[in-house]
Amino acid sequence: MVFRRRSAVYMLLVGALVLFLGPFAWLLDTALKAPGELRALPIHWWPHHPSLSNFRDALTQIDYFGYARNSLTIATLYAVLVTMASAWAGYGFARLNAPGKRFIFNVLLSTMMLPQILTLIPTYLLFAKLHLTNTYVPWVLWGLCGAPYLIFLFRQFFSNMPKELEEAAIIDGCGQFRIFWRIFLPQSWPVIATSLILSFSWTWGDYIAPALLLDDAHTTLAVKLAYGYVNEHGSPLGNLVAAGAVMYVVPVLALFLIVQRGFVAGVATSGLK
Amino acid sequence: MSTEQITAPGAPSPSGETAARPGPGTGVRADRRRSSLTTRRAFSFYAFAGPWVLGFLALTAFPLGYALWLSLTNSDGLSNNSHFVGLANYREVFTDPETLSSLARTGVFTAISVPLTLAAGLLLAVLVNQPIRARGLFRTLLYLPAVVPPVGAALTFKLIFDRDSGAANGFLDALHIDGVSWLMDPYARWVLITLTLWGAGNAMIVSLAGLQDVPKELYEAARIDGANTWQTFTRITLPLLSPVLFFQVVTGIIAAVQSFLPLLISLDPTPRGVSAVPEGNYLFMIHVFAQYFANGRYGYASAMLWVLFLIIVLITFLVFKLSRGAVFYAVDPEPDKPSRPRTLGGK
Repeated sequence: MVFRRRSAVYMLLVGALVLFLGPFAWLLDTALKAPGELRALPIHWWPHHPSLSNFRDALTQIDYFGYARNSLTIATLYAVLVTMASAWAGYGFARLNAPGKRFIFNVLLSTMMLPQILTLIPTYLLFAKLHLTNTYVPWVLWGLCGAPYLIFLFRQFFSNMPKELEEAAIIDGCGQFRIFWRIFLPQSWPVIATSLILSFSWTWGDYIAPALLLDDAHTTLAVKLAYGYVNEHGSPLGNLVAAGAVMYVVPVLALFLIVQRGFVAGVATSGLK
Repeated sequence: MSTEQITAPGAPSPSGETAARPGPGTGVRADRRRSSLTTRRAFSFYAFAGPWVLGFLALTAFPLGYALWLSLTNSDGLSNNSHFVGLANYREVFTDPETLSSLARTGVFTAISVPLTLAAGLLLAVLVNQPIRARGLFRTLLYLPAVVPPVGAALTFKLIFDRDSGAANGFLDALHIDGVSWLMDPYARWVLITLTLWGAGNAMIVSLAGLQDVPKELYEAARIDGANTWQTFTRITLPLLSPVLFFQVVTGIIAAVQSFLPLLISLDPTPRGVSAVPEGNYLFMIHVFAQYFANGRYGYASAMLWVLFLIIVLITFLVFKLSRGAVFYAVDPEPDKPSRPRTLGGK
């Protein structure tokens, strides 16, 4: 009975796995096919002449490295700045008190409900007037003020740290800045890592903001990938799209796989209390 | 990311107790020291919260005010002859048949995709919570699609559901069934829903976290009482999981009404092309993009977004009202720690 139930669980899981990983397999499969094979009838399930030339062409047909560098620049700038700024604000909300704090915190939480695009249209117009479109200044500014979600994450983490840490430091004459920098921040590396990874992958995957704010030369891989691979007639080149998409997705997947143990375990054990 | 706002606003700040803690010593001197400490703390708080507040004012509040103003004008963003048109844009939102039908389509998409994703996530969570081998591996691999950036996911699904070279039609062909144009009506909406379901790993992780919080003793007691698996699931697991499921319903709805995935699935090989989206996937957000990019109607697009925001607020409020009684809280959430289910990222 138990044995039968367990094998049913395995069967369901393996079935789900096939469905969930199938798309990755097809992406890779398409990326390895020669251009002519894409239209082969009946369909070639496995490329008859697998080759890596699509990857080479995907890198050269558009300025892949250039766009990847743009993506990397934006994502790194934003991730580093937003993590620092969010830790900074999170510490204030967690450990300090002042009149108006609760109001400010409620405003912070309610901004998470705003559709991002609602502020993006006027932001675009404002930045255009200030000649800040086609630059990465918007990402620097967004980074510097922190993200509500990450501020919340840091606040939760800092709130749970023992008071004694702080008291000992105050008796030793430390100011709040020193306490934050020397005592709290060094202990919060799990949140720092989570924040860096989350914010990096948001920006790496973001489509709307770069599509609005950046022209073709400054745009990111996410935008260029969506329409960059066409032949001279404007028809999409499936295998180049696939090869480009593989190279675009793999860094994010790799990053996740490296940190997943802490990630999944952290969410599963401490996420809902 | 709209993840935490649901449960947290009412939560009192945990640092109150820290601030009120008496310092060393007694009497007047201690009082003075304490009050100067409180003042210093207050200043420190403003120093720490200041950057966010300034950023909020400049990058959120000001643009929002501007968006409100835009929504009352016929601005196209470029020419200077835009002028105040009052509520005309809002009137148009509620009378333009295309706007209303895109809104209705968004409603249908939400009504289908949110429960399906919730159910799929719950089923997977129950499965990967069983005492089986390679549990961690299953969890990781099933979660993997949820971290794929939306553009990558959309491109992958475009390849799979391509009429000529896609795996979907290749599979049908192997079964001697004629393929169809998946990315066109009437099938396109199902491709969109399938794509949404592909990210069910997120729901799985959140539900799994909830499942692991159910006290084991309850299951043991139920087993002793002779309850079968289904009874255990419906009488113990589901009620105890209801806050987590409720949370997912709210955030799922908020995310679904803002979905712009159809744009990415059907994007033409031209930048910013929104004309090629099949009717079935012409959701509200796509209509906003069309008005904004293709027609340059900044004012009208802003009005549409304000209406969407009000709808989000209204739905959130209604879901809260309606769920009262259906959501079961085993213990009162600790005042210091608002229950805060975490999802793992921007989807």
